[in-house]
Formats: sequence, C-alpha cells, structure tokens
Amino acid sequence: MSDNDAIAARRRALAEALRTGDPVVVTPTGEVETKEEAQGTGMTAIQVPDGKLAKED
Amino acid sequence: MAFYWYHDDPQLYQAEVAAMQKFFPSFTINQLQDGSGRLYWRGKVQPTGAGGMVWDLMLIYKNDHPHASEGEYGGSIQILPVSPRLKDIAEKMMPLIIDTYGTYDNAVKHGFGLGLPHIYRGNFGRNEEYFICTADPKYFKAGQTRSTSAASALSWACKWIMLCEMWLNGEISDDVAMEGNY
Repeated sequence: MSDNDAIAARRRALAEALRTGDPVVVTPTGEVETKEEAQGTGMTAIQVPDGKLAKED
Repeated sequence: MAFYWYHDDPQLYQAEVAAMQKFFPSFTINQLQDGSGRLYWRGKVQPTGAGGMVWDLMLIYKNDHPHASEGEYGGSIQILPVSPRLKDIAEKMMPLIIDTYGTYDNAVKHGFGLGLPHIYRGNFGRNEEYFICTADPKYFKAGQTRSTSAASALSWACKWIMLCEMWLNGEISDDVAMEGNY
C-alpha cells in the first residue's frame, strides 16, 4: 500500500469512526486519531467529549 | 461577585490553564485588547495530520464562563478560526450550495444557510465573523463542580475541522456532514 493509499484509508476509518460515534482523541498538535492509534503512540491526548455539533437554525 | 469569571473563581481559572497546558501546550492565553476583559487562547492545530491544513484558532471565553443556554452554540467558549477565515471559505462555497439546493431558502432548510455545516455568526470587534458550532448547548457542562473546559471545546473544534475538511474534499456527503453522529 502506498503512502497516499494509507492516508486515504486512515481518513476513511476516521470518517467512519466519527459517523458511528466511536470515541476519538485529539493529540497536542490537534490531530484527530482513533483511540487505538493514540494508544500505539503513547502520546498525551484528550478524548473528545460526547456532544453532537450544534447548528444555527 | 466579580464581573470576570477568572476573578470570581480562580480555581476554575487554574484548572482551565492546567488542562490546556496538559493537552495543548503550544496554546497561549491572552486578554482581548477591546476593553471587554475577555480571555482567549490562541494556537495552531492540524486536525487531519500531515498534509492537512493548519488552522490558527482563537478560543474566546465569554465573561459568564462556564455558561450555556438555549441557542448559545458552543456555550461560553467561542472558537474563531483566524486562518483560514470561515467567512471567506463560506462565501466561496455559497454559489456551489445554491447550485446544489436550487434556492437560498432551500439551502437554509438543509442547514447550509451560511455556506458551511455547523457554524454560526456573531460580532467580533467591528466585524461579523463566523464561529465553529462546537456542541449543542445541552452538552456544554456549566455546573459548579464540572464544567466544559477550553481544552474540551478545542477537541470538539478539531473534530469539526476534520469534518469540514472532509466535506470540502467531497469525502462525506452533505447529509452526513449535517446529520451524522458528530
């Protein structure tokens, strides 16, 4: 798998995680990762709290 | 009772600073120079990782922090992208939105009245700016023992940025962007 394919696959996985409400975390650089990815790197990361995005009516 | 939350509740201020230093240490805290006394954090994030856009953000506390009421999107912490500027992106997207939905009124009905999903407008200084709708007010904690911090609000914002970039790239549909489990 090329680097571009790997990046695309990762983005699809993240999009799916967001769509289904699976927990995601944010690293100190602001990068959004799945919990599994973050555990692999051992980096401090904040879990995104539950909460549906609001929208202006 | 002091007018500014950070005078009224210094422990909360310390907790806010500690959370940001732990999770987003590159962000710095300052005070707006508009006489309002409002504090803000500023820093850069890259939510989609290497190759993605770098966003320069301001996280601005309202003076009644922590607070959330009906229609107060994102509670008492406003997230303003300085660069890229949401209003500029939204104005570029609007012709495409109108093409898609036929009329402005129909775009509004589908939640795209401002040109991007999940944003709201408000005054900032002399300008009207577009802010990120981080979370519905019912998810913003504003209790005496637990409150939503700037660090949590920033994590919501990073999720929004990822959603927005994917939507702009056509990786997710309008329906998913607007109604997905975000």
